[in-house]
Amino acid sequence: MSARADAPLVERIARAHADLRPRLRGGPAWQARRDAALSRLLQRGLPDRRDENWKYLDWPEVLAREFAPVTAATAEAPTPAGLELPGACRIVTVDGRYSPALSDRSLPAGVSVEELGAALDREPELAARLRVPGEDADDRFALLAEAFTDAGALVRIAANADVQAPIHLLHIATGAAASHARLVVEAGTNSRARILEQFLGGGDGALSNLAVEVTVGAGAQLVHMRLHEQPAGAAHVETLSVTQAADSRYRQQSFILGGRVLRSGLRLELAGRGAECEVEGLFMVEGIRQADIYTVIDHLAPHTRTVETFRGVASDRGRGSFNGRIVVHEGAVKADSQQSSRNLILTPLAEINARPQLEILTDDVKCSHGTTIGSLDPQQLFYLLSRGIDPAVARGLLTFAFCEDVVARIPWPEARRHVEELVVGRLPDRDIIREFV
Amino acid sequence: MPQKGELILDVRDLHAKVAGKQILNGLTLQVRAGEVHAIMGPNGSGKSTLAGVLAGRGEYEVVSGSVTYLGQDLLALPAEERARAGVFLAFQYPVEIPGVNNVYLLKAALNALRKHRGQPEVDAFEFLGLVREKMKLMQMDESFLNRGVNEGFSGGEKKRNEVLQMTVLEPVLALLDETDSGLDIDALKVVSTGVNSLRGEGRAIVMVTHYQRLLDYIVPDQVHVLAGGRILKSGGKDLALELERRGYDWVRQEAAAA
Ligand SMILES: Nc1ncnc2c1ncn2[C@@H]1O[C@H](COP(=O)(O)OP(=O)(O)OP(=O)(O)O)[C@@H](O)[C@H]1O
Ligand SMILES: [Mg+2]
Repeated sequence: MSARADAPLVERIARAHADLRPRLRGGPAWQARRDAALSRLLQRGLPDRRDENWKYLDWPEVLAREFAPVTAATAEAPTPAGLELPGACRIVTVDGRYSPALSDRSLPAGVSVEELGAALDREPELAARLRVPGEDADDRFALLAEAFTDAGALVRIAANADVQAPIHLLHIATGAAASHARLVVEAGTNSRARILEQFLGGGDGALSNLAVEVTVGAGAQLVHMRLHEQPAGAAHVETLSVTQAADSRYRQQSFILGGRVLRSGLRLELAGRGAECEVEGLFMVEGIRQADIYTVIDHLAPHTRTVETFRGVASDRGRGSFNGRIVVHEGAVKADSQQSSRNLILTPLAEINARPQLEILTDDVKCSHGTTIGSLDPQQLFYLLSRGIDPAVARGLLTFAFCEDVVARIPWPEARRHVEELVVGRLPDRDIIREFV
Repeated sequence: MPQKGELILDVRDLHAKVAGKQILNGLTLQVRAGEVHAIMGPNGSGKSTLAGVLAGRGEYEVVSGSVTYLGQDLLALPAEERARAGVFLAFQYPVEIPGVNNVYLLKAALNALRKHRGQPEVDAFEFLGLVREKMKLMQMDESFLNRGVNEGFSGGEKKRNEVLQMTVLEPVLALLDETDSGLDIDALKVVSTGVNSLRGEGRAIVMVTHYQRLLDYIVPDQVHVLAGGRILKSGGKDLALELERRGYDWVRQEAAAA
């Protein structure tokens, strides 16, 4: 039911929405939000390369894709296996829709999952506190997601719950079409939990657009690992918004190891006094793949702390960008912020842009940042060669070691091994290296 | 393995440049199986450059001259093939490689050698036994095995690790670049024991040092003075003692007069 491909994009989106509207689920409250999101989106349009934070994205590749979403719920879709994490509770979304049928029936104590639309109808206060995507360029894909979401998923961790079982959120894209979805995670006061989001599937030409909201309650501790391993033809755009209350701890690890184009935007607000976050990530782009990473971390309260560490590796004609902004707002005294972005360019045609931005609007803070873009260290390389190691293996080992910095910190051994295998698969000379690592 | 007395290394009239600067100026040196050679000389005279050229370091450009190793043109081989053919360089400043496991590298290096010789990969159990034995010899704690290569090692620990690798890999030609610098008195003895364990009829050792004390522990067959990119004088162990007493100027003057 797609509109003419040559129609301007917003028009295509409007038509797709009109076609789909009668079939979108969720009650009147959700319907009203969707309509509001659509009309704002139609007024403002999607961002484009003139928008400062979107200039590196491979727009032609994104715009060539179908934006009209998959219409019917496709619960029958074949399910990719996903990572086996011992003791994990598995929650599956298919093309952005929560699928109870494919998800584990019994959840650990303190964890609940439901369709976002249904929850909104039942709990007006949820609708009131759920973030409404804004109009600035960073948030327009989130508006698009809001306009089309029918089911979405809401994951809640009860206050004081100490959830030991990993919560494994498996996002499956089924075909070559688009999906626009929302995911909401609420970690209650003083709760503890660990979530792994894994992205699989999506054929050539597929576009998945996801808006994720995470609220970390006062004193809560949340580990949030995100693993992108879509096939090399898929496109994925995501907008994450994280809000942390006082004394909360949030650790995000994001591995961008798949997709033809992968745009990941994060806005994280350290809203409560003493909130601390660690944001770590690794992207690897080989072939003609692209990763475009944009993060904004706002220190809004005193004694807040950030450690942000990103690693990027590009080879062949791969392109990557890391655009990381940290803002220490007025009043956020004693804020402590460290950012590091290290990048490796392995072959002459690969490209990485790294742009750290630190804005400090208050005194009495501790901030540092460092960015490097380079090739493998010749001294290290020569050392390995001088021990008889094959040059391709030596390069692979050093690249792997570079990635290990982040990979070694994955909390589950099974997930760590899995990511290590993915990392090896993204290396030039992967076949020679495989036996060595 | 070469026979005792066989020519292992034959360097002739070697000229080499680094970053456009001429460092080696007609260096000639012959090393035979069973011999230990010590090279001494002022800072910046080209000792590490010579070691680097022999090991195949990329940034050095050989302008003229030749290096023959066991009858083959060493300069024609890339670094990794020189290593597989039995050339080992113990670095003056061993680099740290976090994320590459120390024992893993050792095993991969040994297997690269074995593969080159047409031998099967070393059995994991046998390998561990071998490494444990050599670590004992080097008085190294086994915890060093599972650290990143030289990662966070002290200066002396790095040198010990170089010699550990050498004793496991058993090179035909060992080049030791100031392996004694930065070692405490006990460590010097330990490292010397490691090097001496490798002394043998079919091997040769070339060691760069600033201190004649090392030569009390590893007694050389020949001592050379390298200055201005050339070997200016060669002699026996006594030459080292004389250098210790008199410095290098007299050697330069003698060479200039000749
Ligand atoms: N990569 C390089 N770029 C520029 N100059 C270099 C480079 N490597 C070596 N040199 C220069 O070449 C000369 C010889 O250096 P080399 O390291 O061989 O000296 P050395 O005899 O080992 O000295 P030391 O006793 O201090 O270790 C020095 O002047 C040094 O600065
Ligand atoms: Mg030197």
